[in-house]
Amino acid sequence: MEIKNRSRICLIISAAIIVIALVLTIFGHGINLGIDFEGGLSMQYDLKKTVEKADVEGVLNGMSVSSYTVTVQGSSNNEINVRIKDVAKDDIQKVQDDFEAGILEKYPEAVSIGDVNYVGPVAGATLVKNAIISVLLAAVLMLVYIAIRFDLNSGLSAVFGLLHDVLIMLSFMVIFRSVIQMNSSFIAAALTIVGYSINNTIVIFDRIRENAKKQPNAAREEVTNISIKESLGRTICTTATTLITIVALCILGVASIREFALPIIVGILSGVYSANMINGYVWAFLEEKRRMRKAAKA
Amino acid sequence: MKSYKKRAGGKTGAIVALCVVLVITIALGVLGVTGLSLPPKGLYKLMPWLPTTNAENWPSTLSLGLDLRGGMYVEYSGKAPEGSTANFDELLEGTMSIIRTRLTDKGYTEANVQKIGTDGIRVEIPDVQDDTVLDLIGAAAKLEFMNPSGEVFMTGEMVKTATYFYSDGDHQIAFTLTDEGAKLFGDVTAANIGRTIAIYLDGEQLIAPTVQSAITGGSGVINGLGSAERATTIAAKIQSGALPLELTQQKVDKVSATLGQDALSSSVKAALIGILLIMVLMILRYRLNGLVASWALTLYTILLFLFIALFRIQMTLPGLAGVVLGIGMAVDANVIIFERFNEEVRKGRSVKAAVRAGFKNAMSAILDANVTTLIAAVVLLFYGTGSIQGFARTLLLGVVVSMFSAILVTRFLMNCFVNAGATKISLYTKVKAEKEVEA
Repeated sequence: MEIKNRSRICLIISAAIIVIALVLTIFGHGINLGIDFEGGLSMQYDLKKTVEKADVEGVLNGMSVSSYTVTVQGSSNNEINVRIKDVAKDDIQKVQDDFEAGILEKYPEAVSIGDVNYVGPVAGATLVKNAIISVLLAAVLMLVYIAIRFDLNSGLSAVFGLLHDVLIMLSFMVIFRSVIQMNSSFIAAALTIVGYSINNTIVIFDRIRENAKKQPNAAREEVTNISIKESLGRTICTTATTLITIVALCILGVASIREFALPIIVGILSGVYSANMINGYVWAFLEEKRRMRKAAKA
Repeated sequence: MKSYKKRAGGKTGAIVALCVVLVITIALGVLGVTGLSLPPKGLYKLMPWLPTTNAENWPSTLSLGLDLRGGMYVEYSGKAPEGSTANFDELLEGTMSIIRTRLTDKGYTEANVQKIGTDGIRVEIPDVQDDTVLDLIGAAAKLEFMNPSGEVFMTGEMVKTATYFYSDGDHQIAFTLTDEGAKLFGDVTAANIGRTIAIYLDGEQLIAPTVQSAITGGSGVINGLGSAERATTIAAKIQSGALPLELTQQKVDKVSATLGQDALSSSVKAALIGILLIMVLMILRYRLNGLVASWALTLYTILLFLFIALFRIQMTLPGLAGVVLGIGMAVDANVIIFERFNEEVRKGRSVKAAVRAGFKNAMSAILDANVTTLIAAVVLLFYGTGSIQGFARTLLLGVVVSMFSAILVTRFLMNCFVNAGATKISLYTKVKAEKEVEA
């Protein structure tokens, strides 16, 4: 099997995905923010029979709430998820009681399932702020570590790959906004990927480090090709074993686990992709530039 | 085939060593399952691959987070009352201590009150889904001043401020009163010099200072409080007709107990299936080495859960995810070693030499990969809140234990197998097929 440098095409593909997500966001179809970020009250009920959405909306319209969304789900469309924005904290219990009284009139067997959440508007902002700080801080620390253990260009290209993976995850959240909501677990997922997807890059860079030492004069791109090829067995086996557990979690897990597992799967795939198709070549490109600068000086 | 020198006892020694590790593995497993004579249920049923998917059987020593157990949590942000000049952190500590006392007094002994960020308080109450408990947290405290004959003459609303200060080698509290309070307090103190005035919070006596002189100006001092900590806490409590801080509720989350158990049992099931599939895959691909990896993985999982129980790390859903990722890291380390081993064998080395070279070549990649993950985990530990910290803790532990398992356990087992006579290359990898590929 021949490995070739396809990083140019891959970068274009990744950029296209990110641009699509960006355009969608600009036109108001951004990430489907969950209650952790948006604030409001969220409740889930099993109504024990097929739900007429209008019934639920009727109940809500009869209450003095301003803005709400109702999602019907479940195997026979028997479950509802109600989200009400702008609930004052003192009214939580009242809103909940009123809604339950109303829905019980139409669906006498209705039972509350799952979480009842209330989130104030400030909590989300803090969450995002902390997450961004965490990612940037982790990236800087990794850059320093890799620069010490490998070289600066390795550090730069590894962190480049890292940011690529996080951006792809975010883009996924935009493009699949109808399937998945972004809650605080997404932040945990993104940070997991920051810690984990870099492993693939490190293992390949470790090969590159080894091969580059053996062949100091070979073209860097060629060294990258060989290193990726030599690491392929490990890449496939590790990716498979990691995906097994996460996919099992995703299939068997409850909704809150799925919200966490799905972005991780995307992140892992993106991590494998960037480690094998992009990062090494970014390093090769940077190294060749450095060589040329050095040659020009000499 | 006999390309390596061995003492006469080498083979026997290796077999004995393998047996010892086997016994240790089983012993640890049994310890995990039955807990020997450790507390009530001991470390009962810790092992996810045993039929422990029933969350009720989870050990009492393993503390479960709200998301796995059911209950509710509330997050508040605190704001100092207008015009307050007191140290904000002290007010926050005071508020937390009052909330803690109130919850414990009402029987919520497992409630957990912690600081989040710089100005937030998170209250977790397991097994409770009732909003009335929130009123308890936020309610104004009932502060009462009692004259020597046991009659309440003044209440908390008449206290304007109460602050701790240190002077003349004594920990003291300075307080100021409203006009109405000043008058009442002046009358009572004037009539009771030399006797005690008790101060009660929520029916509990805080302090009973002796009146040394009539306090008529609306401000006074309580001295002789012994320690800075005691004085600060009491000051915070006296200050509060309400809590020392104005609390704004940011977030309320209720998790039903059934949902928690569903989440727990489904993730345990997933982890179980995942681990079994990984073992099958590893044995198919790496044969005897795959067996070694499965063995090391078993030990790894047992150790990880023992540590989680020993360090009393609270298990949450993200925490479980951290465990799963830790398992991924442990497997990856093994894969890196075995791939290197196979390469060496393909180059024509003996199995014994390949083990040594395989480890040597794999070590730098394993180290660097684990350190970068550690960096992320540590950052999360410091910057994350609540559930994210839970994830960081198990991941951190997982990475450390996985390094141990990959570097020590796997190497030891591989060496034992080689020394015990498992030196045929076909025990480890496909020999012929490899040549076909090369041809």
